[in-house]
Amino acid sequence: MQLLWQILVNGILLGGFYALMSLGLVLVWGVLKIVNLSHGSLIMLGAYISYYLFSYFNVDPFAGLPISMLTLFCLGFLIQRYLINFVINAPMFNTLLITFGLDVTITYLAQLLFGADYRTINPDYTGANFILFGATVPLVRLYAFGVSISLTVILWLFLSFTKIGRAIRATSQNLVAARLYGVDPRLIYALTFAIGAAMAGAAGSLNGVISQINPYIGILFTAKSFVIAIIGGLENTLFVIAGGLILGVVEVLTALYIGPTYTNLISFGILVLVLIIRPTGLLGRTA
Amino acid sequence: MKRKVLSIIVISAVIITIALSTIPLWGSPEFIQFSINALILATLAQSWNIIGGYTGYPSFGNSLFYGLGGYGVAIGMLQFNFPFALGLIFGVALAVLVAFLLGLPVLRLRGQYFAIATLALAQVMSAFVSNLDIAGGNIGLVLPLSLSDTLFFELSLGLLALTTLTVAWIANSRFGFGLIAIRENEQAAMVLGVNTTLYKVLAFALCGIFTAIAGGIHAYYITYLDPSSAFDSTLNIKMIIMTVFGGSGSILGPILGAFVLSGVAEILAIEITSLASLFFGLVIVLAIIFMPRGIVDFIRRFPELGWRYFQENIRIYRL
Repeated sequence: MQLLWQILVNGILLGGFYALMSLGLVLVWGVLKIVNLSHGSLIMLGAYISYYLFSYFNVDPFAGLPISMLTLFCLGFLIQRYLINFVINAPMFNTLLITFGLDVTITYLAQLLFGADYRTINPDYTGANFILFGATVPLVRLYAFGVSISLTVILWLFLSFTKIGRAIRATSQNLVAARLYGVDPRLIYALTFAIGAAMAGAAGSLNGVISQINPYIGILFTAKSFVIAIIGGLENTLFVIAGGLILGVVEVLTALYIGPTYTNLISFGILVLVLIIRPTGLLGRTA
Repeated sequence: MKRKVLSIIVISAVIITIALSTIPLWGSPEFIQFSINALILATLAQSWNIIGGYTGYPSFGNSLFYGLGGYGVAIGMLQFNFPFALGLIFGVALAVLVAFLLGLPVLRLRGQYFAIATLALAQVMSAFVSNLDIAGGNIGLVLPLSLSDTLFFELSLGLLALTTLTVAWIANSRFGFGLIAIRENEQAAMVLGVNTTLYKVLAFALCGIFTAIAGGIHAYYITYLDPSSAFDSTLNIKMIIMTVFGGSGSILGPILGAFVLSGVAEILAIEITSLASLFFGLVIVLAIIFMPRGIVDFIRRFPELGWRYFQENIRIYRL
């Protein structure tokens, strides 16, 4: 029982991070109707930005978060405005491929620039933890959880209550009608992608603290973000929290009861099963 | 007229194949090894062409079949003492079985959902195999020392020829027209009496057969197999990029793309290995923007349109 409680706590802390991890992918998929396969490599870039800020300028990874988000925001804006906007009306396969190509490009560029070694960000409070009803809660994981959930909620508020947010949602519902009301889709698409990239950057910075970084971690993030997108659907960005928590808890339970080598088997197995049984997503509707 | 053109193409294809088959006689060992890899990649691209190019179902998980073919040979030869040929048949049987079992549910999905599901399936299979004792788990299997490189070269060349013949048959047969109809409009194809489920699964299985044979040959060639190399996900990238770069849905496009890109990647890899992968990424980004229908279409229309060819391509799809 004690063990189960500890495992649940671990799963929930992991799940919060998973929510932020998948947020950018879900937003871009929902609004632009493209699956951004380079999502994971943007997360990887965010992690490296935090890593270099921390190791060379001694910037705390949580304080470095806005810098990494801003950098990724600009990069995302440029990618969408000057690359993906050129193929956005092509068949789905072309957009899938171009983001795939971007993923490969970013990954191997990172390998050239940063090297292939594993790196970690270890601020002096890394090992700190406290006990919650008998379960150990590592402080960095709790911070990461808090930041993740806050950013997810902030994005939801932004989309719901600001003018740009409404324009983004309008574009996702009906491009033609939004255009008639004076929304410039090129700008909105670029902004949406940029916001998605900024969220990926934030997720990357957090990942640097709670786990390890190397240039190839991206593809697994992309794959897991899919799983969450499929569980939570694309309609409401708050559903990614539920999707993230489900995946996080399932993963730690699998690692405990079946074996750590089975976590990917189970989570991708769930993905395929959900796709086959309910292709519209478990909780909400997908595209 | 058409028959005449066709016979010229067939005759020149036979001549080229025979000319290529002499490479082991005069090529250096390095060149032969490069050629074997290029031929296997061309076979993968050509098989992908069946399901992705002709049927319009872009699989991102064909390494699934490649790995099954490799493990079929490895398990057959090591655990059951099969000869190589029987091991290949075992691998192909596995691939066909999986193509039918997984194809039936997965081929009901369309577009990005199909792509994601296949991507995930390849990962699932890799994780599954790495937990199997008979397949050597995470450590993998070491195969008995292999035949000469010459033999592997001729095997790969023969396989590529066979795959290309099959694709040529598909392009000109009732079955192939059914697949193309599914690609263009699945609902309409169904209304016109195409048994879409059967056609799709058959196309998936065909692509699985050739991919599995390629995997089996490659496994015996390098005499070593572990889950991450057998289900190597970069292979999916390569086969798709090569097909699209050459021209998907055409008979010679995938081969052209595979040879050109393998050649350039090999030259780049002499400098730095990761440079070759970086190059693949850049090629795909640029190709999708400037020539989304591949070299074959480029050769056909560039002389007439000139630089306007690129502008046209961008104009159609831009926002």
